[in-house]
Amino acid sequence: MTATALITTGQQPPRRRLTRRTSQTIVWFVALTAITLVVIYPLVWLLLSTFKPNAEFGQNPGLLPWAPTIDNYLKVVEGIAGVPLWRFYANSLILAVSAVIGTVLSSALAAYAFARVRFRGLGVLFTAMIGTLLLPFHVVIIPQYIWFQKLGLVDTFVPLILPKFLATEAFFVFLIVQFIRNIPRDMDEAARIDGAGHARIFWSIILPLVKPALITCAIFTFIWTWNDFLGPLLYLNSPENYPLPIALRLYNDQTSTSDYGATVTASFVALVPVLLFFIVFQRFLVDGVATQGLKG
Amino acid sequence: MFRTTRPALPAALLTIGALALTGCSGSSAPGETYDPDEEVTLTFAFWGNEVRAGLYEQAFEAFNEEYPRITVQNSFLDFPAFWEKRQTEAAGGGLPDVMQFDYSYLRQYAESGLLLDLAPYLGGVIDDEPFSDEILEIGEVADGNFAIATSTNAFGLYTNPALLEAVGVEEFAGGTWDDYDDWMEEVSDAASAQGVELWGGVDWTGRIQNFELQMRAGGEDLFTEDGEPNFTQDDLEAFWEQGDSIREDGTAAGSQKVEEAYPLSVFDSALTASELNWDNFGTGYLGNLGDSYTELGLVAPPLDVEGAQDLFLKPAMLHAIAATTDHPEAAATLVDFLVNSPEVGAVFGTNRGLPASETQLEGAALEGLDAQIRDYEESIADRLGDAPPVPIVGYGTLEEKFRQLGLELGFGTITPGEAASQFFSEMDIVLNQ
Repeated sequence: MTATALITTGQQPPRRRLTRRTSQTIVWFVALTAITLVVIYPLVWLLLSTFKPNAEFGQNPGLLPWAPTIDNYLKVVEGIAGVPLWRFYANSLILAVSAVIGTVLSSALAAYAFARVRFRGLGVLFTAMIGTLLLPFHVVIIPQYIWFQKLGLVDTFVPLILPKFLATEAFFVFLIVQFIRNIPRDMDEAARIDGAGHARIFWSIILPLVKPALITCAIFTFIWTWNDFLGPLLYLNSPENYPLPIALRLYNDQTSTSDYGATVTASFVALVPVLLFFIVFQRFLVDGVATQGLKG
Repeated sequence: MFRTTRPALPAALLTIGALALTGCSGSSAPGETYDPDEEVTLTFAFWGNEVRAGLYEQAFEAFNEEYPRITVQNSFLDFPAFWEKRQTEAAGGGLPDVMQFDYSYLRQYAESGLLLDLAPYLGGVIDDEPFSDEILEIGEVADGNFAIATSTNAFGLYTNPALLEAVGVEEFAGGTWDDYDDWMEEVSDAASAQGVELWGGVDWTGRIQNFELQMRAGGEDLFTEDGEPNFTQDDLEAFWEQGDSIREDGTAAGSQKVEEAYPLSVFDSALTASELNWDNFGTGYLGNLGDSYTELGLVAPPLDVEGAQDLFLKPAMLHAIAATTDHPEAAATLVDFLVNSPEVGAVFGTNRGLPASETQLEGAALEGLDAQIRDYEESIADRLGDAPPVPIVGYGTLEEKFRQLGLELGFGTITPGEAASQFFSEMDIVLNQ
């Protein structure tokens, strides 16, 4: 490589370099396009399969439908068992939006306390909080279920939303703590000299500065809650309270007939909001991660 | 450290209290009838799709005409999710009052004391006259009767007449397992001669039910009453070796085709002309095959021993009541209505399997495939023996392991000997857990 570079530089440097760069770009472009196609294939398959009639599933595994139809969409919009589709959407939205508000607010508050307030047991509590990251969800399911069952809160959204307002997502608390620790304490002190208390410092100084971290939290919480299956499965009983991930499965039953056309279409329809959400917020997501490194 | 653990103590106490409460509730005297003036709300859970949900809705409307003061709140999920949710509720004490129940979970739930013993209600609130003794015995575990069958299935051989006609092969005329292999070979050969992608069937050694049929033909069930296996590793190896020839010469559709068609079966996808399965799968087959196929053949499975009683009626699904219910009489009233009422029979047809109760069967106006299934179950009466003991805890896991090993045999990644040894190590874990 170095040998060829040495020989070529003497003769026609600008043109040579240009062709080499162009050819490299082309190689990269082709390679990346190929990889992208592989990655995006399932999504395209999903989209095109929404136009396949139910009977084609299992017989036509290919990309293109043999007899395209929009029946699946008509069926899905109609809903399931008397519950219209928009209801499942609304339930998913209520859950996701409340979870975002709850997680962001409570995690930011908890993180501020851990990062800026000195109190007894700080170290132990912080370790305990990080420790909960090691605790798999499945360990706490049953005790938590008994709790809400005895409180008579099963089949309401409370068990799914309440914990989000109690800063139970240790990962986000940790993320924001690290963020706050990188903000110079001089700012707090300056505010304190001007007479601000903790509430004021939190609200007017810290919160605006950790915005990138909050947005990261918001995006992840939204996507995780939107896709959550187990939580709603355990706590919700009535079909009119189901969010989308559970509604999707109601078209299928291995012991009688399964409507794969409707399943695929409902999956696609359920995917659209997350996709839009991601497209709109992805630059904040990148910001959130990128600025983290510059803060120190 | 101590500082942090202290607040957890009241929490732990409360949890214990909650557990104790769970154990104490649901203790009203059994055997009484429901007071029709009492306002009661019952929770009901079933697995199924939206089609079945609509049918239950109609059934509850009919129920409310008779019992206007009982409100039924129903919830439904698909089969795997249904059981995931029940397992948590079972541990947390929140099971629904009345459930659609599955045979494979019956022993586990009954032995853990989660289900209400129906024995005091049978012959009282729940009319047991329309049921045969064999069907009533299905719900017996240990000292009680914990569930009542809504409907029954028998194992059968489904065929696809349209595909058979296309390749010019007659319907399977019955016979031994070897005859069945020969018949499948005829179909596969005819299809490949015409250049059609079609096989006679799949490798039938991949399903534990077929092994069970051969065992029962020899006079023994898979498992004893105590849950011990009735077969040795060599028996199992010999069973799987029977499939060597059809796997190797391309008579059976290969494992790769099976995987490609998943979640449908190759029979659903019109890639095979026959499939051995429970007879209630017919409706699903017709639905998945699509409009170009309007009928199915249903004949008795192959049999090597003349006159043996290898087949049996399996409960397609059952109804059970949670031990924690506050309204056992009302719950039993609902169960009686769901299993016996002719109106419910008319609503469901064979959606839940062939009705087990005579009154309900009379109410169901069966036609087409439904009538075919009824006639089939009547036609095999001579081959019906006693149902095997209630499946062991963990039977579902073993059934799935058996299926996976069958697929691997098809891929040629293991030998029958290795498969048998793997199955026995899995069974060792399941039986001794």
